[in-house]
Amino acid sequence: MTTDNPPTSPGSVDDWFESRLHWRALMDALLHVRVPLEAKTFFFGGMTLFLFGVQVVTGTLLALYYKPTPEAAYDSVLFITSDVSFGWLIRSVHHWSANLMILFLVFHLLRVFFQAAYKYPRELTWVVGIGLLGLTMMFGFTGYLLPWDQRAYWATVVGTEIAGGIPFIGDALLVLLRGGADVTEATLSRFFGIHVLVLPLALGAVVAIHLVFVHQQGLANPTKPDPRPPAVPQGRTKPFFPHYILEEVIAWLFLLAMLVVLSSLFPAGLEEEANPLETPAHVKPEWYFLGVYELLKHIPWKVVGILTPMVFIVLLAVLPFIDRNPEVRPRKRPLAIALGILTIAVLIGLTIWGYYS
Amino acid sequence: MSLETKRRLRHLRLACLAVPAILALLMLAGSASAQDPSPEPSLIPGPPAPSPIAHPPGGDVDQCFECHVSLDDKQQAISETWQESIHGAGGIGCADCHGGDPGSDQITVAMSEANGFIGIPSRQSTVDVCGSCHSDTERMRSYGLPTDQYDDYWTSVHGQRLLEANDTRVAICIDCHGSHAVKKASDPTADVYPLNVPAMCSRCHSDPTLMEPYGIPTDQYDTYAQSVHGEAMITNQDVRAPSCTSCHGSHSAKPPRSSEVVNVCGKCHTATEELYLESRHSELETAAPKCWTCHGTHDVQQPSEALFFHEEPPDYECTTCHQPPDMTLVLDVEQFDDEADRRCDTCHHPESLIYSQVEAISGALGGATGAQAQAQGKIDEAKSLGMIVHDAEVALTESKTGYIQGQAAVHTTKLTDVTVHTDEATAKAAEAEAMAQAKLDESLFRRTAMIIVIAVILINVVVLYVIMRRMSHPWEEEAEEPPTA
Repeated sequence: MTTDNPPTSPGSVDDWFESRLHWRALMDALLHVRVPLEAKTFFFGGMTLFLFGVQVVTGTLLALYYKPTPEAAYDSVLFITSDVSFGWLIRSVHHWSANLMILFLVFHLLRVFFQAAYKYPRELTWVVGIGLLGLTMMFGFTGYLLPWDQRAYWATVVGTEIAGGIPFIGDALLVLLRGGADVTEATLSRFFGIHVLVLPLALGAVVAIHLVFVHQQGLANPTKPDPRPPAVPQGRTKPFFPHYILEEVIAWLFLLAMLVVLSSLFPAGLEEEANPLETPAHVKPEWYFLGVYELLKHIPWKVVGILTPMVFIVLLAVLPFIDRNPEVRPRKRPLAIALGILTIAVLIGLTIWGYYS
Repeated sequence: MSLETKRRLRHLRLACLAVPAILALLMLAGSASAQDPSPEPSLIPGPPAPSPIAHPPGGDVDQCFECHVSLDDKQQAISETWQESIHGAGGIGCADCHGGDPGSDQITVAMSEANGFIGIPSRQSTVDVCGSCHSDTERMRSYGLPTDQYDDYWTSVHGQRLLEANDTRVAICIDCHGSHAVKKASDPTADVYPLNVPAMCSRCHSDPTLMEPYGIPTDQYDTYAQSVHGEAMITNQDVRAPSCTSCHGSHSAKPPRSSEVVNVCGKCHTATEELYLESRHSELETAAPKCWTCHGTHDVQQPSEALFFHEEPPDYECTTCHQPPDMTLVLDVEQFDDEADRRCDTCHHPESLIYSQVEAISGALGGATGAQAQAQGKIDEAKSLGMIVHDAEVALTESKTGYIQGQAAVHTTKLTDVTVHTDEATAKAAEAEAMAQAKLDESLFRRTAMIIVIAVILINVVVLYVIMRRMSHPWEEEAEEPPTA
């Protein structure tokens, strides 16, 4: 691209880019937006994004040594953890970052719910966000198998069996997930492929869409509904860059410190190598699936047990289209807040029950 | 302890030390003083196997069953039990044991003596009724069943008592296999299924009324249930574990004699038997300490280093091991009934050479277990810190394997055979401990590095916070007015 107006004071990097890319207009559009002073994001969304970045970096490093075959997977993970320089750190950070990513994603979801930020004009942002939740859970499910130890193997056996209980498509889905009737080499290789190729690309793309939506709409003001039609934020605002970004980076640094502490004090472990002939006494999924696991144990009809969380996710996705109350302040939307608190209490209760059962 | 007692004890010790020397001389002189104390009494021969009960052939319908199943509840239950039994399934009908004509629906015909009806066989003749078919090779061939049970039974203590005294209280075929409810031994619901055998034998052998006339104790089942064998079979339901019949036999049931014990235990403990046969103990032949001398009989426990010595040295009595008047070496089972007496120093005096050998063997094993405990402690500590200690655990497992081999080698009574394994076990345990220690060191490094990294991150946070505070905050002075676009 050429320009009719070459820079008048050549020499600065900014000018160098400007003369070639019309850099300033792009940066203005991306960074120079205003944030309502009342907006309280607690940086949860940004922290989740940061953790995704950590996962990409540590996951790439792990992939340099990991071997996705039943014969070599366990030994390669053992090698990474025991012999590769700082391999334990990379693996532990990947492990903890995965858990924190789901945790902060849920916090982000709850923040948006309680601030009613899913309402007009952000309905699509919410739906895309629920898609991100699903993709992140799939990341957890596929990544869990890769160490190929007893816990990984049997959690996958149980997890895929749950998927196999879905009416009509269950049997086909089970075979599709496992690459056959049982959890075998075929399962490991497809889980690896999905985990390191399909999901990162999908998540990257959907995150980009999510961010474009957020950028276009700006941050929600939790004290009053957005005007119709949309307008420039009313009331006092502060610049997204550098003020908001600086606060966000400080939050990221605290998160990084948390990752370092967790990884150093509670490094990722490894059980005995997977043995399809020896079922451990207590097979449990990861904490974020424990609620569903406990629900399945207590609902006598398997189909109902499996459909309940699926229906819940669908209802969650279409929440902006169900909840037509324009109010955003919690005391003006008591039913939504009560239902939200009840759902959280049930999920936490089931998770704790699942942990101790 | 009084001076007199001390003097007597000293004399006893001297006597005990003198006895092995006298024994050696006697053995050199070809004396047969070390013999099985009670020679086997000759067996009363059992009767020849009788012919199967002859009866008219039945038709397509077994009329015995047809009538009896519709009689009273008792007859109905008997009929249905038979129908579900292995005999019922195999077409072995009522008349094959009771005689009579199974083809007739007339009671006067079907149950007439003319048609060979014998009714309920007496307990004496029941063995013959069963044996008549089960010793018939032609009949048993198609079922792949052995035909020696009948002859075996007469050699058992049960059969001999029946022959000798016509004592019908002894166990006969139906007491173990049932009469109408006979099942395959491989059927888990059968009384004779391996896991059910101890409970089955105890039905009689734990009954004080039944056992009192024979002077047989009734605590074997309870003792066995608490043994390492009983725990494996009853608690862990491990069919490989030995039950009563594994040592006593089934149809030929009889307590193994002292001279047979090594072979009986050696059926399963083959490697240990081979090691024992290399030992000085084994060379003493019939009078030698056997498996039960150290491990007991029904109350076998997991062996441990506690088997070497008493906690307090015992009061030595020559007659513990030697019988007057000629001080023959005799070790009776009753002498070792108390588990606390099954120790090397029960026989081997602290001033004997053998005692010091036992001390060396015990020390070698103790050294290995001590090293293993230390390694295990480090491994547990490293694991509690989240460290992966796979290599150390493998080394410790190898050490434990060496220790078990050392434990088995104790049966040779030779120090060098034991130390070749315990030295390796100790070295492997030290290796495991070093590996676990390396993990502990690494954990310490991680924690130290963590503090440094956290400090660096916090410095960054402080710097960014300062920059943030120094930046202008124009909105704080702004009025509540919409900003210009």
